[in-house]
Amino acid sequence: MAKFNFYLGATASSWLLAILIIAAELYGPFKNLLKSTFSHHWIGKGIIITIVFLAFGFLLRNKESIANLSDKKLAWHSILGSLIVIFLFYIMEFFK
Amino acid sequence: MRDFVLFAHIILGLALIAFPILILLYLNKRSKWLKPLSIITAAISWLLLLPSGKLYITFYPATKTLVKAGSWPWAHDVIMETKEHWGLLLPVIATVAAGLVFTGKAKDSKKWWVLLIILSALLGVMGRIIKIGALK
Repeated sequence: MAKFNFYLGATASSWLLAILIIAAELYGPFKNLLKSTFSHHWIGKGIIITIVFLAFGFLLRNKESIANLSDKKLAWHSILGSLIVIFLFYIMEFFK
Repeated sequence: MRDFVLFAHIILGLALIAFPILILLYLNKRSKWLKPLSIITAAISWLLLLPSGKLYITFYPATKTLVKAGSWPWAHDVIMETKEHWGLLLPVIATVAAGLVFTGKAKDSKKWWVLLIILSALLGVMGRIIKIGALK
């Protein structure tokens, strides 16, 4: 039995980071909530994705795939997807 | 204080390029120090958040004002905003890579180490662009 699924922890935390960024930029009260809770929105995002990485990695330790997608592929594409989404989002925000 | 944090930021960032290169060079040779070095690299990626956070939260606001007032406002709006958040994924990537080495999937860890090297180098270049942006 696996003790931790690094792939699914990374999958969950990478997509959550992209969601947190977009939500905080588009909805001011959410960014303020992160600031007031964690002293800074960046610290808030960091703490939340770390907790999610650990929680999903532990809770899904026996899963090897989700919806017929292997955890290995899912994690790789999620990380790359998250990096691309974050970059494109800020380009779009700049030209808005 | 600022200099110490800045040097720590740069040195730890460079370690996230150098150590994965070493790991990749010896990945197929199953060296006995591969696992400890992988763990040290992952630990550095988490530790790096401390100087990064200190620089970003305490010292960057003054630089941000300069960048935004200059002719390269995108250096903050696009490059810095992206950099500060991509940096949060460095420890995740390094931990996955180290976890794979530790669980006997060293071959699968290869592309994660490569991604760590590329991302760390890119973050360094982005930092340089922001610095130039503050002088424009």
